[in-house]
Amino acid sequence: MRNEKDLLQLMNAHFEPLKLEIKRKQNVSVEFKKEELIQALSFLKSHSYRHLSTISCVDWPEEGEFELVYHLFSYDDLINISLKTRIKRDPGIFQTAKEIWPVAEFYERDIHDFFGVKFKGNDNLEELILENWQEIPPMRKDFDTRKFVNDKYEWRDYNGQKHTD
Amino acid sequence: MNNNFVKGSWQEILDWAQNKSINMLHYCTGCGAIELPPTMTSRYDMSRFGIGPAATPRQADLLLVTGYLSTKTLRRLIYTYEQMQAPKFVVGFGSCTINGGMYWDSYNTIKQLDKYLPVEMYIAGCMPRPEAILDGLLKLKKMIADGEADGYQRYQDNLEYYHQNQEAVLGEVQRTQ
Repeated sequence: MRNEKDLLQLMNAHFEPLKLEIKRKQNVSVEFKKEELIQALSFLKSHSYRHLSTISCVDWPEEGEFELVYHLFSYDDLINISLKTRIKRDPGIFQTAKEIWPVAEFYERDIHDFFGVKFKGNDNLEELILENWQEIPPMRKDFDTRKFVNDKYEWRDYNGQKHTD
Repeated sequence: MNNNFVKGSWQEILDWAQNKSINMLHYCTGCGAIELPPTMTSRYDMSRFGIGPAATPRQADLLLVTGYLSTKTLRRLIYTYEQMQAPKFVVGFGSCTINGGMYWDSYNTIKQLDKYLPVEMYIAGCMPRPEAILDGLLKLKKMIADGEADGYQRYQDNLEYYHQNQEAVLGEVQRTQ
């Protein structure tokens, strides 16, 4: 059974992580170059980190980047590890992880719905949660939710006063 | 005897019978659904008012929309409503169905349920307590007995209006009728 420090040493020995951090007990975060990330995922899977909890995405419009975060868990070490990487916002394409975890297909479809990130190797990127979405993906920071809501929906009229006033 | 008089009296008998036994389909879209188990079971026991849960849309008279509706669930709600047999009643439950509630600036929740389906009445609250639900349902029973709950009639009469509103937010909607 590894502890958090052993895990970081293991990462340092096999890869060149940009940043290593022990967030708190049982919680580790590692930042990778985007070329190394998929390799690191399959390496960790063969080192007892078999459980892919989720994949999440953060939009950084000022830097022009998306940050992808892969959350893994090991039932032997009882440690959560977050693997982060940054990709260019335009065109926003990354490699799929579905060969390593088939379930990643659905997380990638989710991210494609909400951020518009495409995953090379995942051909089934049709809408998972949204329906008939025509605008830019809604979780991008440059999507103006308030304007969209005002255009699409009518507010209830309370004797001439709108509920949003 | 006047034909209209017979028809009117018969309708009154039907209304009276209808209000004594309501089968409720609770479409649990949002958090309001958590108030229904205590309302249905021994603590508040709605069955003493002749209201009980139904398993499928075709067996229900009352559609209870418990909470916010995203555009995706609205589509399913419309399919559900169109499967129900008349006379059928819709009750909006919680502030989300009235004006969007706490999700008023969300891109995918609808703001006014009565634009898409004919709502008999709203039960306000975020979320309404079982007492409020029972109070609302008793008022609905009275409305049915008095012949005021005519939502399914309004839906038929203003079909175009409702269909237009539905298609404005959902795009294409499959029609069963």
